Amino acid sequence: MGKIINDFTINIATANGTGSQSANLILLNALFRMGTHASGKNLFPSNIAGLPTWYIIRVSDYGYQAPGGKTNIQIAMNPDTWVEDIENLEPNTVLIYNTDTRLPVDREDLILYPVPMGTMGRKINPKLAKLVANMIYVGIVAEMLEIPQDILEEAIAKQFGGKEKAIQINSQASISGREFFTNELNKADNYYVEKREFDKNQFLIDGNEAVALGCIYGGINMLSWYPITPSSSLAESIDAYVPKLRLDKDGKSTCAIIQAEDELAAVGMVLGAGWAGARGMTCTSGPGISLMSELIGLAYYTEIPSVIWDVTRVGPSTGLPTRTQQGDISMLYEASHGDTQHIVLIPGNVDECFEFGWKAFDYAEKYQTMVFGFTDLDLGMNLWVSKGFDYPDEPLNRGKVLKTKEDIEKIENYGRYRDVDGDGITYRTLPGSGLEPIVSRGTGRDEDGVYSEKSDIYRSNMERLRRKIEGSRTDLPQPVLREEKEKELGIIYYGSMENTIQEIDDILEATGMKVSQCRVRALPLSPEINDFIRRHKKIIVLEINRDGQMYGILRKEIETELVPKLHSVAFSDGLPPKAIEYAEAILAKLEAFEI
Amino acid sequence: MPRVNKINQPLDSYKGGKSTLCPGCGHDAISNVIIKAAWENSIAPEGIAKMSGIGCSSKTPAYFLQQSHGFNTAHGRMPSVTTGANVANKNLNFLAVSGDGDTASIGIGQFIHAIRRNLNMLYIVENNGVYGLTKGQYSATAEEGSRKRKGAPNELKQIDLCAMAINLGCSFVARSFSGSRKQLTALIRAGMSHRGMAIIDVISPCVTFNNNEESYKSLQYVKNNNEELHGLDYIPHFNPIQEIEVPSGGYKEVKLHDGSYLRLETISEEHDVGSKKMALDALREAEEKDKHVTGLLYFEEGIPTLDETENLVDTPLSELPEELLRPNKKSLDDLLTKFRA
Repeated sequence: MGKIINDFTINIATANGTGSQSANLILLNALFRMGTHASGKNLFPSNIAGLPTWYIIRVSDYGYQAPGGKTNIQIAMNPDTWVEDIENLEPNTVLIYNTDTRLPVDREDLILYPVPMGTMGRKINPKLAKLVANMIYVGIVAEMLEIPQDILEEAIAKQFGGKEKAIQINSQASISGREFFTNELNKADNYYVEKREFDKNQFLIDGNEAVALGCIYGGINMLSWYPITPSSSLAESIDAYVPKLRLDKDGKSTCAIIQAEDELAAVGMVLGAGWAGARGMTCTSGPGISLMSELIGLAYYTEIPSVIWDVTRVGPSTGLPTRTQQGDISMLYEASHGDTQHIVLIPGNVDECFEFGWKAFDYAEKYQTMVFGFTDLDLGMNLWVSKGFDYPDEPLNRGKVLKTKEDIEKIENYGRYRDVDGDGITYRTLPGSGLEPIVSRGTGRDEDGVYSEKSDIYRSNMERLRRKIEGSRTDLPQPVLREEKEKELGIIYYGSMENTIQEIDDILEATGMKVSQCRVRALPLSPEINDFIRRHKKIIVLEINRDGQMYGILRKEIETELVPKLHSVAFSDGLPPKAIEYAEAILAKLEAFEI
Repeated sequence: MPRVNKINQPLDSYKGGKSTLCPGCGHDAISNVIIKAAWENSIAPEGIAKMSGIGCSSKTPAYFLQQSHGFNTAHGRMPSVTTGANVANKNLNFLAVSGDGDTASIGIGQFIHAIRRNLNMLYIVENNGVYGLTKGQYSATAEEGSRKRKGAPNELKQIDLCAMAINLGCSFVARSFSGSRKQLTALIRAGMSHRGMAIIDVISPCVTFNNNEESYKSLQYVKNNNEELHGLDYIPHFNPIQEIEVPSGGYKEVKLHDGSYLRLETISEEHDVGSKKMALDALREAEEKDKHVTGLLYFEEGIPTLDETENLVDTPLSELPEELLRPNKKSLDDLLTKFRA
């Protein structure tokens, strides 16, 4: 058998709370520094300590970032999942396992590397034995794959940023693992890592931190939040960056951060800040959106700039709180009672997380409405590759705010809700200005903002609101199109599916078909998507939820004659999408409909 | 020429639209006191933000201070919306009106947490013991045994918002009665001068659903059973020697944040407004006798407000220029360099 270079998936099974996370990140970072396309997915439980966790690292010279279809190298540390971790492995899989668990391994068809990691860890540091044991397997893997120690040392240093003691212990543990592999084991596998050209511009970052930085550079004035996985780290990241980037020369803050009593209050604070003329934002996950829906409608109807980031997890209800899904997209689009429609920004990578992070505030103030950012646990909490964030290329857009008497006099017959420009966006004045004050209210009101229950006034106001949001279709981030000249099959997808789409495309094209792609980046949908559908013979709408939520939105919004072209491929098991599974589902769908 | 206040504004500048509440509603009396108090305190109307939730009481911001921006939010959510507006523009004078349903039931969580954060606001509860807009269901502040116009007596214990506020550390807690114009005016004026959260729970009879003699919150019942802790006079900072009759008996003065004073004239036993214990005892004793105790129950100066604990810049956040909102390009370049290391 020849060497298998830079093309494998490692699965590391540990229990949470054992400190494996830093070891896994070091391994990932070392692979990244080798210039390989390495990505890591953390599958963790809704628990603090003791329950099973898996970390899946994909290394691929093709640039594939999704977990591979099968495990090539299994690291078994967790007694609780020992049996299933091992029995599911295909023959010839590498199994590196901790012999100190004293659990049996009865698979002779595997490549076995037994290592007494606990004992080795205790020798290095009895108090920290459990933590150190994790670095032993990092050393084993590094030696096995031929990752140079100096690269590993760089990754260790980065992980522990200047903490000399931690760097020393972890380095020692990794060397101990290497020595064990060299002295006690014989390499019987064919997996190797080869150095590739490392793009010095690249780094790894998770989507939550990228959104947080986007907000910081978008001039966020108030973050209100209620802790919920997987969005908490977004709020905590803003909290960490405000003291570094958003204090004035006297050390005073330009951004308030309030941990709210619940999501009802968190969104209320966003509305209050927006109403008073500042940039307010909250972040949450699906259950939070459910609670916030009441005031989401108030923001829409009273036309208050507001921003909410939804880092989606698996629903319905409490669901699988630490797993990923695109299950909230239809809820976000029409959240709250009555007729509503909200702008939803859908980044597909960390660079867009940053970009849409600052743009969300501009759209919210420009359209005087609720703007959602939509990511998910996979994009929000796993490390993705960035080539660097672009500094905002346009000034803040504060929207139609009248600041002086002269401003108002320029407008004939000013009224808070009178559409003088014909774009549905009306002019507002801010509290404290003394200019044309009204009582903002969720009840019916006329163009001057005065309470009204009149039918024609209600209806024309609602039509204007529709016109206003309609106007954003060509202004929001437009879809990213990658088209084949054959215009045979087009895949419409969005968000974190971006990580998997290239591999899906390659699998499909290997069967001889030509596949175009259209990545949706915002709701309401761009007219370009309608045109993309028109140009193609058949369309698959690919998403990570059960019901084909984007498919439903498309059916409602595209031209009726194009609807029969659409076919939905949608499912969700809580895990980041694997290319082979979605590709097979697409092929099955095409076959079933003979399309 | 109409009379003007210290900032040359006539009383009319503080008025609002025509009330649509039932004739004789206690809430309208409170609105009139708010108009008078704001005028007398010479507060610039454009600097006031009127906040409310949902209910009869929460409709009233349309009936006073028409030169002020207002926000009639959603049921029970006024405190959180005010919180956001407060950090957005800390220079606004927040004047909030809520009701017993809005505050003691659907919004009780937000009420509690607004107190915890010590928002710089005046929070008036127009408390009548019933839901008016939905036609007369008991609210959580209805006393056990009290009976509204229709239906059985209330069987559940009341939530006393003043006792709750005192226990939560609110720095200005008062109870009053919509029929006690002088007392209410002094308290609202003092509440406007206070820095931090001032809560005034005003018993405000619902003339339509809860004004029968078996109701503990009927006009007549409150009149007959109102135990005032003290006589109250407000002495504004801009006119400390305003003609106020010096009481013949003993009195104490409470100095408010803006330099104004609230003069407390002893009526019976002296009430120490700095003692939480005395305040809670007074509430408990009144409850045991089916009475209403009114006046300034508790006062404390100097608790940090939310905008202070947030360490915000001096300029309101809503008025900051772009250079203070968006860090410069170099800062992003430095960050990226660090990420790439």
